[in-house]
Amino acid sequence: MPDLDTGHLFLTTLAPIKPGAPVDDLQTSHVQLARIALAKLPTAHQSPATNDTKYNSPFARNQRNHLARMFVLEDVVYNGRNTQNPILARIEGNDQTKPQPVDRLNAPYLVFCADIDAITQDGDPLPTNLTAEAQQDVRKSYARKLWDTMEEELTEIYSNCYGFETVKTADQFADYLDRCHVETTMPFHDYYLELPKFHNLPFKTLLYGVLAPLVVGLLALVLWLIGVSDVPLLGWSTLATWIIAIALGLLLAYGAIRFALWNGEKPLPPGKYDDLPSVLKALYVQQKMSDLYVDNQGASDQDLYDAFGKFIEEHKPYDRKSMTQTPGVISSESPKNVTP
Amino acid sequence: MTRKLDLNDIQGNVTRAYGRYSFPFARYYFFHFPDPASGRAFVDKVRTVVTTAARWPKKDQKPEDPSMVQPKPDCTTNIALSFTGLLALGLPVRTLQAFPDEFIEGMKARAFILGDRDPGETERAAEKNKWDAHWDPIWQNNRTSSAPAEGDVHMLVTLNAQLAPDTTDKPHPALAERAEWLLEAARKAGVRHLGGIGAKGDEDYQSASAVFENVGGVNLPTRKEHFGFTDGIGDPVFEGQLSAEDEAKAVVGRGKLMGEGWQPLATGEFVLGHPDESQELPPTAPPYEFMRNGTFVAFRKLHENVGTFDRVLKEEAKRYANVANVGDVEAEETLRAKMCGRWSDGVPLAKVPTYQDWRAFQKQHKFDPDTPDLEAYKNHDVYVRSGEARDFRYADDMPGYKCPSGAHIRRVNTRDYLDPLNKTGKDPETGKPHENPDATSALNKRRRILRRGLPYGPSNNEAKDDSTEQGVIMLIMCASLFRQFEFVQQQWIQYGLDFHQGNNTCPLLGRHDRHKRHTIPENPESGKPPYVMSKLDTFVECRGGDYFFVPSMTALRMMAMGIVDPT
Repeated sequence: MPDLDTGHLFLTTLAPIKPGAPVDDLQTSHVQLARIALAKLPTAHQSPATNDTKYNSPFARNQRNHLARMFVLEDVVYNGRNTQNPILARIEGNDQTKPQPVDRLNAPYLVFCADIDAITQDGDPLPTNLTAEAQQDVRKSYARKLWDTMEEELTEIYSNCYGFETVKTADQFADYLDRCHVETTMPFHDYYLELPKFHNLPFKTLLYGVLAPLVVGLLALVLWLIGVSDVPLLGWSTLATWIIAIALGLLLAYGAIRFALWNGEKPLPPGKYDDLPSVLKALYVQQKMSDLYVDNQGASDQDLYDAFGKFIEEHKPYDRKSMTQTPGVISSESPKNVTP
Repeated sequence: MTRKLDLNDIQGNVTRAYGRYSFPFARYYFFHFPDPASGRAFVDKVRTVVTTAARWPKKDQKPEDPSMVQPKPDCTTNIALSFTGLLALGLPVRTLQAFPDEFIEGMKARAFILGDRDPGETERAAEKNKWDAHWDPIWQNNRTSSAPAEGDVHMLVTLNAQLAPDTTDKPHPALAERAEWLLEAARKAGVRHLGGIGAKGDEDYQSASAVFENVGGVNLPTRKEHFGFTDGIGDPVFEGQLSAEDEAKAVVGRGKLMGEGWQPLATGEFVLGHPDESQELPPTAPPYEFMRNGTFVAFRKLHENVGTFDRVLKEEAKRYANVANVGDVEAEETLRAKMCGRWSDGVPLAKVPTYQDWRAFQKQHKFDPDTPDLEAYKNHDVYVRSGEARDFRYADDMPGYKCPSGAHIRRVNTRDYLDPLNKTGKDPETGKPHENPDATSALNKRRRILRRGLPYGPSNNEAKDDSTEQGVIMLIMCASLFRQFEFVQQQWIQYGLDFHQGNNTCPLLGRHDRHKRHTIPENPESGKPPYVMSKLDTFVECRGGDYFFVPSMTALRMMAMGIVDPT
């Protein structure tokens, strides 16, 4: 499964953390410094407890993140030795009292995962499919956006990673993060409002397409085995017919499997209104609409009509860019949480 | 794939026995947190000076990577916290309850298992007889109830110091400076410094130092403890502890035997969060990074009854000289060696079994009594550091003709003796005991402990008896106090069945109020009968201590920030 699905990019990057400690602070290792930088990073105003804190998550400074997460991956978890049937082990001369080698990571890693809109310009519609190069462009565009909005925080975190010393500009950071990129194998995303047309497999077509030459080949084989040398009516050689037909059937079967895999790998189309600006606008409109409803309970038709007109004018439901909830907050109640 | 340990995250005393790295002085301070905030503030302050396991530069060596090497300090600082300490810091219940049972209970509650309390007494009788009346007041007042109490020891801070410049027996002034800084930090944070150390309880800290001896007119630190044995030779070596180059030399006689020469033990036997010798990750409390790179330590103040030891040895030596038909000096030296498993200078019986061999060995290595003192001192130091002093096994001596099976060092580190496939009896071809060349450390590699600590008490130039204060401050480090330290203490020191010794306890460290015997086998070919020591008395007794958790730098920071989140 690739990084791209439902018009979102499921970005995963792993940056190896340097061993030891910086020469000017030998007391605190790079792993520790990375952890401290992460611990100091403010969370979004995403719960009543954090609603009133002074600082918001730096990821809320752009309009592309649905979710972002950074953590230190110390090592892989070790699940114990590979067990073997003792009798087999004895026969193979495998001494089970001897410790086996243990798989380890070569360094601790800073993991950065993000679920982002797969676009290169703010406001673009979500794409249904992108080439590998276009996906790289999306990643780089996103990295530049991060650099422009949170350079200070990124520098504090990533300066503990290998190879970050040369990163001084947005473009260099984009290249750096791209080197750290690994393919995401299991993206998670939200539900569709309306089910789109999925890439259903034309199962019957594939089945019959593969079976037809195979059946012809088998029939010709039977004829050939009982000594008939020519196919009745057509007059083809039975030997040539069964060989060619069965070979064709196997070739088509292989092609069908490849087609099924390729079809399965195609990204799912984006959901309607699934980009971040639409989500934020929807959250905003939903809250304001509830207020409108409450305020106009029992109002006359004319008053309701006027109020609704005012509502459209004030809250601009058709415009995703203005009068919308800012990223990283849970409510549009306070004016400071609204982008005018 | 091999992976280097994050030495900057592990406390320095886990990878180094400071005493052997030219730090002959130590002070141990104990603290009590009146409330979580003051405890956190204090931990936050002290963690900034904690000595990590980062490598120290070697003499005349340019560090290949300056970020990996730290200058060697004049005084080291390390922290450990008791369970009551973690409780007082307000750690989450989920984290606390996942700590091992023996750590939660503490050392006092385990006295019966450890043999610190007379195992022949019922719990009630022991309480009535005030079994811990001889403990230092600080340890008597520790954990007086299961509820938090005023006298609970919450935190242990260990300071180790090098020699002062141009001296041979004075601690570096950095020790006093660091101690002053520490007490000031405690005062500022609102943390209580606990005194009550020493038999009279009039000491503010537990001091310790190497035993000094007058060598050629100069006072020099020795490797001796107060009974006169050379100590601390065979500490385990584990993967990642040393650089590859150092490991190859150090692992000889200190690792495990698995059929391919000496190999380092698995990291997980001593550092939490890493695979251990059972090829598993030892269980740890959540969150994962809280216990990773940490370990446990048992702090034990072991008093040495030097008067009793000398008296018993004299009596036994008299009889042995008579039975074995040897001189008094040879009798005494032999008995000492047969109790310990090493001659008093550390030469192992497994390699040099007889008195005559030993004297010749001393001469050959030039640390015999005829060599000038200072030269002998230096030669001896070189020998004790070498693999030669450690590279031996027991499976070629199953009957214990060379080193008795019940001897101290054979009990606490059984090497290849307990391999179940070892053959006993005589080899019909040679008529000698079987060599068992393929014996492994299979049952020993899960019971190893790191010994970090120093002797305490007067130098060898002063008079000592049972009432003077001397002994060893033992800091026993391991990933599982239950599986490693307590097992060795209970099964191998205070009991003898694994060595075919019945109820006989370790001749040096065991209790001898009931079982007073130690058997010294003799090779029948010598024509001599075995000798049974029968007047042993308790030479070493615990004067208090507790179990502590040694957090990683990550865990110290998490505690200081108050962000230990087990979810």
